[in-house]
Amino acid sequence: MASSKRVSIMPAPKPPFSCAPNIVIADNASLTGTHPISVGPQSVIHPRTKLNSTYAPITIGSSCIISERSMIGLQSAPSDYQTKGVVIGNGVVVEVGAVVEAMEIGEGCVIEVNARIGKGAVIGKHCKIGAMCEVAEGDVIGDFTVVYANGMRRVDRGGVEDLKLRMVGRQVEVLRKLIPSNPAKFQ
Amino acid sequence: MAEFKPYTYFQCPCTDTSFSTRRRIGDSGPSSEEETDEDERTFDPRAPRANYSLYPLEHLLYCEDCHQIRCPRCVLDEIVCWYCPNCLFEVPSSSVKSEGNRCTRSCFQCPICTAPLSISSTESPPEGLGAEYVAQSGPYVLNCAYCLWSSKEIGIQLEKPNSIYAQLAKIKNGGEPYISPKERRRIREERKGDGEESQGSEMTLDPNEKLDAESQFANLKAFYQEQLAESSPASALGFTGDYGYGSPGALSRIMGLYTGSSFGDKKSKSRSSMMREAQSALEGLQISSPSASEESIARLRASGWEGTCSTAQRLAQAHNPRFVSDLRPIAHLLRTKRSKRCKTCRHILSKPESKVQNTRFRIRLVAPNYVPRIAIRPLQPGPAAPQALLLTPLRPTQFVLTFSNPLFDDVRVSIATPAKTPGRFGSRVTILCPQFEVGANTDVWDEALREGGAGAGKGGEREKRRTKAEASEGQQQAEAGKVWERGRNWVSVVVEVVPAVLKVGEEEKKDEKEEEEEQEEEEGGGSRYAGPLREDEDILEIPVFVRVEWEADVAQDEGAGLAAANNKDNKEEKEKRELAYWCVLGVGRIARD
Ligand SMILES: [Zn+2]
Ligand SMILES: [Zn+2]
Ligand SMILES: [Zn+2]
Ligand SMILES: [Zn+2]
Repeated sequence: MASSKRVSIMPAPKPPFSCAPNIVIADNASLTGTHPISVGPQSVIHPRTKLNSTYAPITIGSSCIISERSMIGLQSAPSDYQTKGVVIGNGVVVEVGAVVEAMEIGEGCVIEVNARIGKGAVIGKHCKIGAMCEVAEGDVIGDFTVVYANGMRRVDRGGVEDLKLRMVGRQVEVLRKLIPSNPAKFQ
Repeated sequence: MAEFKPYTYFQCPCTDTSFSTRRRIGDSGPSSEEETDEDERTFDPRAPRANYSLYPLEHLLYCEDCHQIRCPRCVLDEIVCWYCPNCLFEVPSSSVKSEGNRCTRSCFQCPICTAPLSISSTESPPEGLGAEYVAQSGPYVLNCAYCLWSSKEIGIQLEKPNSIYAQLAKIKNGGEPYISPKERRRIREERKGDGEESQGSEMTLDPNEKLDAESQFANLKAFYQEQLAESSPASALGFTGDYGYGSPGALSRIMGLYTGSSFGDKKSKSRSSMMREAQSALEGLQISSPSASEESIARLRASGWEGTCSTAQRLAQAHNPRFVSDLRPIAHLLRTKRSKRCKTCRHILSKPESKVQNTRFRIRLVAPNYVPRIAIRPLQPGPAAPQALLLTPLRPTQFVLTFSNPLFDDVRVSIATPAKTPGRFGSRVTILCPQFEVGANTDVWDEALREGGAGAGKGGEREKRRTKAEASEGQQQAEAGKVWERGRNWVSVVVEVVPAVLKVGEEEKKDEKEEEEEQEEEEGGGSRYAGPLREDEDILEIPVFVRVEWEADVAQDEGAGLAAANNKDNKEEKEKRELAYWCVLGVGRIARD
């Protein structure tokens, strides 16, 4: 599977890529597809992240962290209601290996390791999708929801969203120093 | 379909009382009587009782003195120590008795998801230069990193980041102070001691208080103990303590019952007249209020489904709460390290290192070191992945059973199976080589050196045999009475099965039986074949009786000085050993029509 992808990457044209000047995008992140991909200011795209805009555009907000081996974008043809593609809000952290095909992910969400979010799903603000959890296609998850274990849900009224957003901001600051950025390669 | 992995389960002989495998010294072998006896009984792995006697080899122990397999049912457990799995602190058994079996330090589990809780300050961490040197200040809350629950949600904030157990014991959900039963007793005693003068402590206990179950019980107990003590001074010694039944007071009462004399009669009469019932919350009386259920219904309306706890969450709590807001952080349950003894001879079979942090064992006599392991694989490597393989009914299929010998002596193995597997669908089973010898588990290097030294020796021959087997793999010919493959301490033999047809209908079954000319099943009647296919009935399980015989060096094996001294003159004498047991081979699923 990996090899076939590599083959397809080489001759494929670069997707239209727009980004703020101060983003961090690693040299060996993979951007494929034909629809536009846009990344907001202060965001960090780790090495080996796969952004796939073959079927629909991808919009990533500001101060987001998209981790290694995560897959953003539709992996197969979209259903008719998801034409605006994948929209990721500000301050979202997508952890290693997560697959995000959601229609929308709200501000300050955390998508943990190997979580999968199906097509057309809408995730509210400040949600946490736990490691290995799955959100079904077209599911709608309200603000402050925590999805954990085998699909258990609870609403978190901790009220520390601002603190968490600030923590993400600091994490971004650290990553800026660690990851060599090369946005020019993708433009 | 879920992938199927071939498995071997061993039956511990302890479940079968008619079974006796004694160690024979100088005996020529099993008596013929016993052999026929064992032949007649076939172990049925599908019998409901079999569930309780079959174990993977790794779960079994072996008693070196009884020379027998030992399963969890025939060993005795002894607790070596108690410890908290979270902080690895060893808890002395005395405090387990007094404090209960939970960690009393700072280890708590999330009441929502059971993940360990961590403590953190509610204040945002200081920022700027030298921030890491600034000590964080309270208030503190318990946080779950997994589901993001925090003790803030039940209104609990703590002053100190340590000794959380003690702090939590004094706070109710919502932040009000809680008076633990222990504290109550202290106050009560104080009051009693000071008489009526001290009003300060009396103020803290409200006679109309709503008590939780634990405090109510403590209050009631204290009240009745007091009553008993006051009403009958003679038995004061007897009934105030926890262990009243062995006390002189109780004894005299029992004596009175037997002799019919007026041993304690007068006292009991006077007591009954003087006893009164509890009258307030201080004495453990709780009047149930009629509005209580209305209140909880109203609460249910307000909080909705999200506000109620799941069954699992409820069961984890001592006070059986209905609402999420009533949940308490759960102190970690303590765990034990145990040593295991043979039930028959009381020798220790397994003994862990008593230090909690140390995961090693001082003694560990596990069965895989004594009992040959049996591995199963199909003889023909299928074109598809082997786990997707289904057995075709009525098509003979061959499997390779590999016996590997963990002992340092050569062993002679005899295996036997019923011609037809027990159960509703009998598959025919044939072992092509039921008797063979397996080499000793010698040092791998010894073997390598020997082979190198004498290329044409025994090792060379073995090598030749193996290559021959490989060469003939194309033809798939397994000869009857011959070992399929042989190695240093392992031998493979071939077993052939003809899987049964999984037809539930009665007629087909009869037809098939007539073909096979099996008469014995006739009396089973229609009822045995009625009903749909049960769960996992399509798995072909073969009961196999294994008998392992070997000659062990007595002196070396016994180890003990006494035995060595006894056998000094005939040190060379070898002892004949035998081990016999049933095991079950799960070889695969039979395809359904
Ligand atoms: Zn024993
Ligand atoms: Zn047993
Ligand atoms: Zn602990
Ligand atoms: Zn939790």
